[in-house]
Amino acid sequence: MAPPAQSHRSSSPSQPSGKGEVSDLKSQLRQLAGSRAPGVDDSKRDLFKKVISYMTIGIDVSAVFGEMVMCSATSDIVLKKMCYLYVGNYAKVNPDLALLTINFLQRDCKDADPMIRGLALRSLCSLRVANLVEYLVGPLGSGLKDNSSYVRIVAVMGVLKLYHISASTCVDADFPQTLKHLMLNDSDTQVVANCLTALQEIWSAEASTSEEASREREALLSKPVVFYFLNRIREFSEWAQCLVLDLAAKYVPSDNNEIFDIMNLLEDRLQHANGAVVLATIKLFLQLTLSMADVHQQVYERIKAPLLTLVSSGSPEQSYAVLSHLHLLVMRAPYIFSSDYKHFYCQYNEPSYVKKLKLEMLTAVANESNTYEIVTELCEYAANVDIPIARESIRAVGKIALQQYDVNAIVDRLLQFLEMEKDYVTAEALVLVKDLLRKYPQWSQDCIAVVGNISSKNVQEPKAKAALIWMLGEYSQEMHDAPYILESLIENWDEEHSAEVRLHLLTAVMKCFFKRPPETQKALGAALAAGLADFHQDVHDRALFYYRVLQHNVSVAERVVNPPKQAVSVFADTQSSEIKDRIFDEFNSLSVVYQKPSYMFTDKEHRGPFEFSDELGNLSIGAESAVGTVVPAHRVEANDKDLLLSTSEKEEIKGPSNNGSAYSAPSYDGSAVSAASQALSELTILNPSVPGLTPQSSLAIDDLLGLGLPEIPSPAAAPSPPLLKLNSKAILDPGTFQQKWRQLPISLSQEYSVSPQGVAALTTSEALLRHMQGHSIHCIASGGQSPNFKFFFFAQKAEELSTFLVECIINTSSAKAQIKIKADDQSASQEFSALFQSALSKFGVP
Amino acid sequence: MLQCIFLLSDSGEVMLEKQLTGHRVDRSICDWFWEQAISQGDSFKLQPVIASPTHYLFQVVREGITFLACTQVEMPPLMAIEFLCRVADVLSDYLGGLNEDVIKDNFVIVYELLDEMIDNGFPLTTEPNILREMIAQPNIVSKVLSVVTGNSSNVSETLPGATASCVPWRTSEPKYANNEVYVDLVEEMDATINRDGALVKCEIYGEVQVNSHLSGLPDLTLSFANPSILDDVRFHPCVRFRPWESHQILSFVPPDGQFKLMSYRVKKLKSTPIYVKPQLTSDAGTCRVNVMVGIRNDPGKTIDSITVQFKLPPCILSADLTSNHGTVNILTNKTCSWSIGRIPKDKAPSMSGTFVLETGLERLHVFPTFQVSFRIMGVALSGLQIDKLDLKNLPNRPYKGFRALTRAGEFEVRS
Repeated sequence: MAPPAQSHRSSSPSQPSGKGEVSDLKSQLRQLAGSRAPGVDDSKRDLFKKVISYMTIGIDVSAVFGEMVMCSATSDIVLKKMCYLYVGNYAKVNPDLALLTINFLQRDCKDADPMIRGLALRSLCSLRVANLVEYLVGPLGSGLKDNSSYVRIVAVMGVLKLYHISASTCVDADFPQTLKHLMLNDSDTQVVANCLTALQEIWSAEASTSEEASREREALLSKPVVFYFLNRIREFSEWAQCLVLDLAAKYVPSDNNEIFDIMNLLEDRLQHANGAVVLATIKLFLQLTLSMADVHQQVYERIKAPLLTLVSSGSPEQSYAVLSHLHLLVMRAPYIFSSDYKHFYCQYNEPSYVKKLKLEMLTAVANESNTYEIVTELCEYAANVDIPIARESIRAVGKIALQQYDVNAIVDRLLQFLEMEKDYVTAEALVLVKDLLRKYPQWSQDCIAVVGNISSKNVQEPKAKAALIWMLGEYSQEMHDAPYILESLIENWDEEHSAEVRLHLLTAVMKCFFKRPPETQKALGAALAAGLADFHQDVHDRALFYYRVLQHNVSVAERVVNPPKQAVSVFADTQSSEIKDRIFDEFNSLSVVYQKPSYMFTDKEHRGPFEFSDELGNLSIGAESAVGTVVPAHRVEANDKDLLLSTSEKEEIKGPSNNGSAYSAPSYDGSAVSAASQALSELTILNPSVPGLTPQSSLAIDDLLGLGLPEIPSPAAAPSPPLLKLNSKAILDPGTFQQKWRQLPISLSQEYSVSPQGVAALTTSEALLRHMQGHSIHCIASGGQSPNFKFFFFAQKAEELSTFLVECIINTSSAKAQIKIKADDQSASQEFSALFQSALSKFGVP
Repeated sequence: MLQCIFLLSDSGEVMLEKQLTGHRVDRSICDWFWEQAISQGDSFKLQPVIASPTHYLFQVVREGITFLACTQVEMPPLMAIEFLCRVADVLSDYLGGLNEDVIKDNFVIVYELLDEMIDNGFPLTTEPNILREMIAQPNIVSKVLSVVTGNSSNVSETLPGATASCVPWRTSEPKYANNEVYVDLVEEMDATINRDGALVKCEIYGEVQVNSHLSGLPDLTLSFANPSILDDVRFHPCVRFRPWESHQILSFVPPDGQFKLMSYRVKKLKSTPIYVKPQLTSDAGTCRVNVMVGIRNDPGKTIDSITVQFKLPPCILSADLTSNHGTVNILTNKTCSWSIGRIPKDKAPSMSGTFVLETGLERLHVFPTFQVSFRIMGVALSGLQIDKLDLKNLPNRPYKGFRALTRAGEFEVRS
């Protein structure tokens, strides 16, 4: 069905070209067009079917557009449906021909049968040809007033479609207000639900430009509206219920009673057959009770059973989506699920991504009472056929050992792994034993006895080898033949390909030397010599450092290399708690599945590649003019592995000359096959995987070599004309501000001095507010009186919805301003700070 | 908000494409998807939610058909997956099964269905009953009719009354000469038995399936003798919440035809109806296998269709297995299947034989997991019992039928 690709498709040898057939169809259709013979509908139907099936397999049948339209004069509803389908598919690429269809669609919109009225209206709105919008307004207007709810349902969605084709037409016809009226008064719940969808989308899009729309958007979240929906929720279809629940999740209740009212209203939704409804309800409950710790706990208890049932009842795909959410909850509150640990046992048939999630949950819920059983279960997986899972389960055993106080049984198990004589099991177990010893040095005797029996020749994986070597160095006193094992490893220095292992080897042999000097001296000399000759920079440097430190003073060297160690009490978590909180705030979204907050993987919704390449273009220029700091970490990442959204826009810019495949994946294919579009080729050049080509890194290298460069102003220099453009009509409601303020980390905190004129002018807080507003920085709350003032400001980037939040405390007696900046896009906060400072410095200057 | 739905055949061919919004999704995304699927070896192993360079993809696989949905915006993943599952169910229901041919033959109907099920990327109606009124099923009767009468439209002329009624899952006024209602308890037993023969986990997932052919607007109440054993329940939208909360009674106006009234879970069962005891001992490059099967806990009805399946570990060169009852087959994908059927009265079925291990391997390190399946008609192993079913609002006494069935779900025995 994809017109832009069809030329490519049909030219490929495996597809029939279809040219002859198409012209055949064309003549046959033409014959039937005017005919009123009996049975003509049947032959038409066969022909239409053929056309649609060609379209489905990707053959371009747009040539018969005219004939299809001519044949559309029929009362047969299936024929009509096929015709609508065809027209909807080709209208966008044939806007002139689309005009032909308007007539018959408009006529059908007045048909006696509501079904035909609805279908025709839907097709009319799906043409999406900008110059035909004038024909939509009439039928939509009457569709919204139609007495059949089916037509109204279609018409409401039609308004949304119209809005996306031409926002001004939609607003000028006052459709949003009509929808609002319908939403609050229509008897059909599907109409109401569709109105809600449409209005949410329209008003959010309008809010940035129209005050009224933003008021309306907030009104959607007002108490009467939200409760109007919640009270009727049982009448809605299951999908519409998801919408309502989503709306309610954005509502901020005024007091606890309201929270309990909502929860009572919705409790039965937890038992709905549709998992999407259940999950949306859970999200709402969790969010409502965030501030009430004890109720929040009860909510966890309450939602446990429905979640576990969802996992076990649905298809594997459904279970996976639910499990990802369960995973998040288990990680937040493992103790609540600790008695249900058996639910997280892996089943043989499950795909490995499910098993992996389950293993993580088993690790999290392990506590004093269930550890033994969980570890027993995990040990069974170590003999699993699926090697990655076997590895994961050994790691899980290790993690449990590290988080428990009573580790007797677990250590025994780990040591058994070492005796299983399977190389990957040994490898994983070695790494774990190393970590374990760092936390529980008291177990060294038992462990070392077993580890000593492992021949280093059987250990090949770098991580495991490094662990073994670390233990050899650390416990060389207890391990009888440690110096000799190390010596033989050093003899094979050249065959050791991993730098990590070589680094460990250097350190281990040093440690060993301090403990057993006579036996190790020879090995140490050989190791240092080999290390100095090593081509790897780090290895070389470390060897050199050891050598010099030994030369300087041996006892100092011992203090450096082998100081008395304290047991590690907590290992660093891989994911910060802030990130976890953000994911939790985005419960019931893709973030949970990816285990990343959305800003890490969606840079901007519907970001077009066009816009994308533009920005990158700016960046390369900017690097020379002190805006190098603007390269946002996650934007590079987005470029690297994420989404170049909105293919439709991409199609538009490519123009007719390009007949290649519209779809290419630059980040997956480093060599970037398709240099078709300008946007993509630019991307490839700036692809961060080719470091030499990024403007920044080349800059850094040049600098190192001391080459003459265009001047780089230092960041401390006076604020240069800021490149960041702020939206002068930015809007943010206090609730969102508070939420964001809570979620975001402080990205910058600074102190400025305020000019004397500024201090003089700051008699009341309002004066500054007005001034800052002139610089597109808006105030959301302010307080205090001379000499201490406190302000909360916010600002939005002009072209995107990226917000900056500022807390600003000004002391007029010391003429100092302390600011804390939080930003959606942290990388731009430096720039914003400069802008803020320049705005502040102009305060009071006439 | 979904932007596009594709249906792919098991060879990766695009059978159908339904664009839902103005943001047209190019079908070359399917090529990308299929390459991923192939590189993973097996499309079933691909995660249900994937990020492609341009879109987020949701996929559901049924009978070799991949249902692929694309979106570019953040949305609840379960909503998308749940919807795709519904699409699959509805299509399978409409076309009497899912396969490549049946979809290609009926693509017009599939388009029509999708048109009613989703508009502008938001799901609308997925209730099979309502859909059936809008789009007629392509059954043999209607085909014959269309040939005889010449009226070939397979769409009903009127709009479904239910779209406007307050009971959205029910057709307005169905009429039956014989009023009848059937209630089935269908249970699946999931159990895991570990190496030492201990029952690690045993749980029942059950469904109450109802097939209702009742005239008018009947009101039903179904009660259980022992509802307290249920751990968690989920209901069809027709079930009223309050009566269940206060008295554990299911009160509802049923949809017409077959539907799932309720699903439930019963945890912590103490015993399984049959035992499977595998023994593996390896020595000097061979491994002796012996598997015994017998009745542990007689459910009082015949246990039927017993099979034991396992995958041979990759380090095995050859296997020689025989049994004293039933047949043993080793399939090409190294799966060994022993179908027993019923357990005979006079002897306990057993299967034995040897594996020859790879050269150089003394002992077997990787142990197979045995998957067991069985069926028991007439018993719900959870012990759940239906107490009574009352019907109100009916002109004449209907026929009521009750059945129960338990089968093995994920029943696995490790060795």
